[in-house]
Amino acid sequence: MTKQRDSGFASTTTRRRLLLGAAAGGAALAAPPIIRVRSASVRSVRWWYFFDDPNAAPDALVSEFQKLHPDIRIDAERIPNNGGADYATRLYSALLAGQGPDVAMMKIANLSRLLEMEALLPIDSYLASWPGRGDIAEQHWKLAAAPDGKAYILPVQYVVLYLYIRQDWLDAAKMAPPKTLDEMLEVARAMTGKDRWGIGVRGGAGGQDFWASVVMGEVPWEKGAFVKPAAVAANDWYLDLFRKYKVTPPSTPGDGFQQTINNLKAGRTGMTIHHIGSASGVVESLGNRITAVPLPGGPRGAWATYGDGGQSIFAKCKDPDAAWAWISWLSAGEPNAAFNRLTGQVPVATSMAKNWTEVPKRFVDATVNSLPIARILPNLSQTADFVRTVWPQATQKAFLGQISSAEMMGAFEKLYFS
Amino acid sequence: MAKPRYVALTTGVPVFLLLCYALLPWLWMVLSSFRPESDLTQSPIAIMPSTLTLANHIQLLARTSFASSLRDSIIVASSSVVIGLAMAVPAAYAFSRFRFAGRRALQIQFLVINMFPVVMLILPIFVILRALNLLDTYLALIMGHATFTLPFAIWMLTSYINGIPQELDQASMLDGATRLQAMLLVVLPLAAPGIVAVGLYLFLTSWNEYLFALMLTGRNVRPVTVALQMFIGENQVSWGLLMAGGTVVSIPATVFFLFAQKHLVGGLTGGAVKG
Amino acid sequence: MKRSATPLLMLAPALTATGILVFFPVLNTLWLSLHNVVLFRPKSQPFVGLANYVEALHSQAFWDSLGRSVVWVVGSVSLQFLIGLGVALLLNRDFRMRGLVRAIIVVPWALPSVIIGLVWTWMLDFNFGILNQIGVAFGLLDEPVAWLAQSGTAMAAVMAAIVWQGFPFFAITLLAGLQSIPHDLYEGAEIDGANAWYTFVYVTVPGLLPVMVTALLLRMIWVANSLDLILVMTGGGPGTSTQTLPLHAFLTAWSGGNYGSGAALSTLLTLILLSVITIYVVRGQVDG
Repeated sequence: MTKQRDSGFASTTTRRRLLLGAAAGGAALAAPPIIRVRSASVRSVRWWYFFDDPNAAPDALVSEFQKLHPDIRIDAERIPNNGGADYATRLYSALLAGQGPDVAMMKIANLSRLLEMEALLPIDSYLASWPGRGDIAEQHWKLAAAPDGKAYILPVQYVVLYLYIRQDWLDAAKMAPPKTLDEMLEVARAMTGKDRWGIGVRGGAGGQDFWASVVMGEVPWEKGAFVKPAAVAANDWYLDLFRKYKVTPPSTPGDGFQQTINNLKAGRTGMTIHHIGSASGVVESLGNRITAVPLPGGPRGAWATYGDGGQSIFAKCKDPDAAWAWISWLSAGEPNAAFNRLTGQVPVATSMAKNWTEVPKRFVDATVNSLPIARILPNLSQTADFVRTVWPQATQKAFLGQISSAEMMGAFEKLYFS
Repeated sequence: MAKPRYVALTTGVPVFLLLCYALLPWLWMVLSSFRPESDLTQSPIAIMPSTLTLANHIQLLARTSFASSLRDSIIVASSSVVIGLAMAVPAAYAFSRFRFAGRRALQIQFLVINMFPVVMLILPIFVILRALNLLDTYLALIMGHATFTLPFAIWMLTSYINGIPQELDQASMLDGATRLQAMLLVVLPLAAPGIVAVGLYLFLTSWNEYLFALMLTGRNVRPVTVALQMFIGENQVSWGLLMAGGTVVSIPATVFFLFAQKHLVGGLTGGAVKG
Repeated sequence: MKRSATPLLMLAPALTATGILVFFPVLNTLWLSLHNVVLFRPKSQPFVGLANYVEALHSQAFWDSLGRSVVWVVGSVSLQFLIGLGVALLLNRDFRMRGLVRAIIVVPWALPSVIIGLVWTWMLDFNFGILNQIGVAFGLLDEPVAWLAQSGTAMAAVMAAIVWQGFPFFAITLLAGLQSIPHDLYEGAEIDGANAWYTFVYVTVPGLLPVMVTALLLRMIWVANSLDLILVMTGGGPGTSTQTLPLHAFLTAWSGGNYGSGAALSTLLTLILLSVITIYVVRGQVDG
């Protein structure tokens, strides 16, 4: 059990990269480096990643890659994620101290902040000649696109939120899976009974995804959009699931992922919103009694949160060619499938996703069928704060009746457009 | 003087209640670490497990790197105790036994810096340790923990040492002992209960610390608090592993203290002062 | 000459370590609090004087979170202290297996906050919580309570967890203090025919006072700054009902990215603590 000191640590400061200027200026070129100064013949790449399953380790993938590229060494470092909060704290501190990774798993939500920091390297020139590009559906590229029109993220895995629903409860109520939000409310009311509720909704972290689907739909987030009467009315409908119709459990304002998924598993709720990442666990508890369908659309349009997983190369990376070799290898073909078997998500490589059998087919179908309506929250620098602090606080207050629907929407308007 | 029934009532009953309070949440955790996951997603939850399993513990120690994290935490926490006490004992002795210019100011200084929220200091600390090239080493974490517990250690030890009469040092120095000998051979043994209490504090603070552990470590050093956090994923919480990890983590410090608490016995008697 | 050098030499290691790892970062953060520092805009950090402070003092969120901090600190420290003192007196008696009991009560303190937070969250859970189940079974509760989802109960629930985590600290610290009270004082009291209460008030309390005061002081500072249990259990919610001042500063800096404002909020917290403690220390000085 000998541990080796990461040689990248000591040598970072002594190396200089000509490419830096290009990335820092945000100029169009992202050509391979003109001069490469190397202290050793082995090209090391510091890679940061996070997996949900503590048993899953990328060691086999790393050694397979290193066998194909004997001159490259991947120094893999697992970073605690904690809902993205710890990962972000660690990443920003490291970047500010000049100690960041060369390449890392990344969420689109961090893109605008990292671009402001000029921390990322555009990958367009690599993509132009990459054969795997065509195997990744256009929707992924569209969603990951940066505001400046360049590409900084290479998708590696994805999920789309769908609606878990108890098939046996539906059958008992002689109802069909809901296609619209109003139908969903009807189903939820039919399912609600003694010690059980129609739908589990998160009042805490992560709840903004379903909220955005209901309240904002396809309406663009621009000045005034939150406070328009239609938006406030849609928000009232959302809040009333808890306030008025009581089709969600009394603990809703404090509930997060753990509570909503456990309530579903225990038969306390008939529906909840999540994605394929939790499918194996849910099936283990409920077997054939549980199914999934794409999220119902409402009057504001169909919209399902795209849970992105991509990788980015950092501007200070000493050897972007090696970094690209690693991440592009992970995003195509069998390695992409192997990667997703570790993370429990769905391969972005269409050829691999087609016959995905890691979870029962109905969950894969619900995911793939949701891809066309997959969207992300707007890529603005306020969004990270919105997701982590502003949305949960305002929503919990509104659920508890401390503020009105209009005041809740006003808080968002203030965050984004004041 | 023995009044067994009276003692059972005034000591036995409160001790029993105390043990219930201290242990029931912990026992609930330990019990759940031996239960299959399916037991835990039942509502209402059954108090008695359907079956007991070692699966979580085996998985914890065999399939994750928790064992090496335990070793890291033991190294870091015990070194923090040693280094922390090595810095704090002389400082506390100086505050207690000497009257010098700036004494009060220095003493208060140790309190004041303790008041600043560490979450706002972690970024500059990260930059400093990076400049010293100490990131991801045991030393970085040990120094971080030992330094941030100094205010507590110094102030508490000063209080304990203040309780030991000055006459003892002076008598021993009249007998030819140096200042250092007076501190090490006369005062320290008498301050043993205080040192054990402070040592325990240093150990547990380091053992349970998360922010420094998150920020200052990496591939080489990975304390248990960080390892436990890894069991909380984005879409998956490994509840069984967390509970098994919590069970394992609570044992070393408790066992250490079982031995150390013998020294929580005052050595100071009237005779010592008179002599 | 020698007399003045010795104490400084003895203080040197502690002062050096503190200087590098605490003093410099504090100065750095104070400096940042006078600038408009946005975490993800490292290149533009204009000097703004006291603007961050003025903004904080004018915001409702600052005063609200300060009020919650007062409740948090006073409530949890006094409960920890009272339970801890009782336990220390109890464990100071002579009884069989005393050593084992002393070690066992350290267990809550030997658990990381993330575990304590998760276990308490789970025990308090609306659907799966053992406490709700026991409460209903014994008729203490009419129906399960969503403790962490209501603004009226969330703070109390998190405080219950931190009291459980923190009482062993007082128990052990005060027990060590009890041990350093000279035995002859008790013997003297016994010879004088003093009863238990008289002995407690006139022998135990004065002997324990310095340690008690210091432990309370340091624990207060620690609890005032601690946010890990709150983060795990409620994240400051529901709404902002458990958002204390350091949590507000933390979220402002690390979630909102306004590092300058976060630094100013932290400085204000330090100043408030400082003024409370100055009163405490000055009075202690007079008493001593």
